[in-house]
Amino acid sequence: MKALITAAAVAALGAGVAHAQADFPTGPVTLIVPYGTGGSTDMTARPLAIELEEIWGQPVVIQNRPGAGSMIGTTEMTQAAPDGHTLLINTAAITTAPAIQADLQFDPVDDVTPISLLITSPYVLTGGSNVNADDLAGLLEESQERTIFMSTAGPGSSGHFMSELVISASGLNADIVHFGGGGEAYTNMMGGHADTYISTTASVMPYVNDGRIKALAVLAPERFELLPDVPSSGEAGVTGVDIEGWVAVFGPGGMDEELANRINADLAQAMASERMQEQLEQNYAVAGNLTPAEFREIYLRDMQIWQNLADERGIGQ
Amino acid sequence: MDLLANFALGLETAITPTNLFYCFAGVFLGTFVGVIPGIGPLAAISMLFPITFYLDPTAALIMLAGIYYGTTYGGSTASILLNMPGATSAAVTCLDGYPMAQKGRAGIALFMTTIASFTGGSIGIIMLSLFSPLIAEYALTFGPAEYFALMVLGLVAASTITNSTPSKGLAMVVLGMLIATVGIDSQSGAARFTFGSMSLMEGFGISAMAMGLFGIGEILSSVGAKRDGKIDKSSARLRNMIPSRDDWARSWRPGLRGSAIGSFFGALPGTGPSIASFMAYAFEKRISATPERFGNGAIEGVVAPESANNAADQTAFIPTLTLGIPGSATMALMLGALMVHGIQPGPTLISQQPSLFWGLVMSFWIGNLLLLVLNLPLIGLWVRLLMVPYHYLYPAILVFVCIGAYSVRSNPADVVMVLGFGVLGYVMRLADLPAAPLLLGFVLGPLVESQFRRAMVLAQGDFTVVMTRPIAGTVLALTALLLFWTLASTYLRYRRRTKTTLSAQG
Repeated sequence: MKALITAAAVAALGAGVAHAQADFPTGPVTLIVPYGTGGSTDMTARPLAIELEEIWGQPVVIQNRPGAGSMIGTTEMTQAAPDGHTLLINTAAITTAPAIQADLQFDPVDDVTPISLLITSPYVLTGGSNVNADDLAGLLEESQERTIFMSTAGPGSSGHFMSELVISASGLNADIVHFGGGGEAYTNMMGGHADTYISTTASVMPYVNDGRIKALAVLAPERFELLPDVPSSGEAGVTGVDIEGWVAVFGPGGMDEELANRINADLAQAMASERMQEQLEQNYAVAGNLTPAEFREIYLRDMQIWQNLADERGIGQ
Repeated sequence: MDLLANFALGLETAITPTNLFYCFAGVFLGTFVGVIPGIGPLAAISMLFPITFYLDPTAALIMLAGIYYGTTYGGSTASILLNMPGATSAAVTCLDGYPMAQKGRAGIALFMTTIASFTGGSIGIIMLSLFSPLIAEYALTFGPAEYFALMVLGLVAASTITNSTPSKGLAMVVLGMLIATVGIDSQSGAARFTFGSMSLMEGFGISAMAMGLFGIGEILSSVGAKRDGKIDKSSARLRNMIPSRDDWARSWRPGLRGSAIGSFFGALPGTGPSIASFMAYAFEKRISATPERFGNGAIEGVVAPESANNAADQTAFIPTLTLGIPGSATMALMLGALMVHGIQPGPTLISQQPSLFWGLVMSFWIGNLLLLVLNLPLIGLWVRLLMVPYHYLYPAILVFVCIGAYSVRSNPADVVMVLGFGVLGYVMRLADLPAAPLLLGFVLGPLVESQFRRAMVLAQGDFTVVMTRPIAGTVLALTALLLFWTLASTYLRYRRRTKTTLSAQG
């Protein structure tokens, strides 16, 4: 019976393809935020929704579905019809979760349609008050004499994966200590209890600008255009850590390509608005500008990298 | 002089009609949200958060903050009248507040909690305005080892929080700690006792537990119980709301001590009003010359936690505003309200946004005054609430509790959890097992465990680190002393009693 309904839905969709351009959206669009109200993803989603309402002429409803490292909201999205009226905004957590959560209730390849890479920003390795080094090369030297304690926002967080990646790529002599969220990691770093923390520019720069913690390296081959004074990991001779942090929009699996392209274009238009540009600037981030097909490649590639790293470093086992 | 200028600047900001309006709206809403069992500040602030996009940041923050500390004012009302905490931080107020109400002293209990809340709030604000940077700096010296020591002290101090036999209290603390192990392990990331359920990955929610154990438990145990008309209308009269000289004499010291304890725990990121109220209660009972009065309607047992949780509410803004680091989910929303407008909290906030910071601080004063003025006349109204027949009142509360449980994460599983805790609470009542130690074990257990394991990672497995670090060592020494004192005094009392019985026999 369920298969029959699905088949009918697919047929109906097929018939609608030709009109996809004109027909979308036919009603309110739900944007699922798999994190709590007021979190960084929520703060991107809300102004975005305001812009999209203007473009689409339909209400865009934010639904916060936090829990299980964003997987509760993500699962809910995958169960919706791929008609574009249910979308998900998520971070790279959607690519790390499959590597560590054995009991996912969806297939991250087939049940998810990557639509648009909204925002990208590099990860930054930061050091706290106990760190003498000013860059990654210095930190590597410092780690010859003592163990470096890399703090994370919790096991399986993006900062955890990035820290493992740095250890794996650079041979840094480090132990990982998990805190209950980024805030706790920052206070422990400021207090000199832990040494480093890795997160995206939007998260770390306010504290760096305050002078409370220092940016040791942008994890990229080259320096980041918006932070010309921060050395890159490439300068320290460390390669293979150049994964970017991002915020992106997804739809349920099997979404019609034309519809995905259409939503991608509308999202690009929203991102070009003054409101969103201002936010990008505040967050030291840049807009994505990829087609759904290009973004899908990054999505699959990142997922593979995390899976390999999880296997290699024994994360989540 | 500088401070006066800052106060003047803040007052100028806070007293504009718009900000005054949002302050009033916030505390008014907060009081009601607080009174209703089930709907807590996090749910209320989450629901109102989106409108901050359309407000001036100062107005938005003033309103959200008003809801936050307003809830704590109202939270004790249901604790006292119905034995159901309106907010988690008011759970401990049930212990003596409800017995007071049963003795016809509901009006006095409500009056004193309002005064205690105001005192606590005021002292918290003084701390916030005078010592913010200093306190924030001091809080940074607390690493995992220090938190661990502090939480152990909390567990020991609070093990005798209720009057039931120590073995029952201890068993409940341990049960609470065990229930708290459900969820993702803090260091390995392994799912513990989740049985493959995604809803259990985050563990059980503190508010679901508090509402279930106290609220639903109370409702379930009232089924079939005859309602003895204890509430006479006279307790709503103003004359019967005014505390006696004895009440004042007993209250002022616990109020000040509670405020101090609350200010301390509020300023530490990661602890907050709930832990502060438990600690203040445990401390008062511990130093009281008549600890047996606690649990039977001792006014100190109401004043201490209520001044503590309000003080903690105010000092919780210290790490949020001066370090840019929220100590709780509610504080993260406050931070969000600022960041929406491109304002980054941090050490530079006070110098760069003086009108916002001082405006907020002054709005706290105004808000606390408004709450005082708002709450005192409402006492009569709340007491009358008890005259509503239970068959109308309880179903309504049940609905609110379910809505409140759902609204925290929009997860239907949370409603099932709150009902499950309700059944547990009912069974515990039948077995005469105290609920407060269970809640405390649940709150402190995960902190003890995760902070200890963090301390062990950072010390590379060296157990002595929790004793050799100065703050942690001092706190643990205090804990040992407290434990020794408890055991010694119990032994002495036991010996004295056997002696008297013996001499009576002889």
